[in-house]
Amino acid sequence: MGSSVYKAIVIVGFISLFHSAFSAAQHRSYLRITSQEFTTLPLDIIVQAIASLFAVMWGVLNVAGNLREIHAAAELNTVKWETQKNLPSFYIFNHRGKALASNYVPSSAVKSDLENLE
Amino acid sequence: MSTNKAKDSKPEGVAYSEAALRNNAVVVEYCRTSMAALSGSIAGILGLTGLYGFAFYVFAVVSLWVMFMLKTGPNWNKYYISRQSLLTNGFFGGLFTYVLFWTFIYGMVHVY
Repeated sequence: MGSSVYKAIVIVGFISLFHSAFSAAQHRSYLRITSQEFTTLPLDIIVQAIASLFAVMWGVLNVAGNLREIHAAAELNTVKWETQKNLPSFYIFNHRGKALASNYVPSSAVKSDLENLE
Repeated sequence: MSTNKAKDSKPEGVAYSEAALRNNAVVVEYCRTSMAALSGSIAGILGLTGLYGFAFYVFAVVSLWVMFMLKTGPNWNKYYISRQSLLTNGFFGGLFTYVLFWTFIYGMVHVY
């Protein structure tokens, strides 16, 4: 699941939380108007509040970010040998091995350099 | 990436990646603060008073811990050094945030 799903969970949980808060406030004002004594909230408000608590907590837990493995070798172990031995400083593009090819033609510039040396 | 220098003397020593440890600590701290604020609001909405409120905080802390365990699954050892410190770290720091939100939301919902 992507992170956007958990963001949606957080938003829906917050809306549900606000709804339960307003329900509780309205219940409280209803009791005050009818001059009854407050004992507990109705069960549905309690259930909604607790459920939205768990929803938002689970959403936040996943939105907060991924946990990384704490063992030092854990991330090195995933590196392939091809990546490890790849050292750009030691790349060689031009070397004497190409003189062994059957269709090798010595470049004229190098030839003239050699002649100038003598 | 910090490797343990004293590893040769102790064969049981395990090298931990410091960057990963710090990253995990940041994530845990974020979740813990949000959980304290949220559960404080819930306690205010429910109108808990006295010791019931503190019991609810303990309940919220334990449920966050259970959620961490559910997220990592059976191999929690790969992500945390110890489970106990995950449960108890920052307990009182979160409690202050909790009481702040608890009293605020209680006043908003039940008093006014």
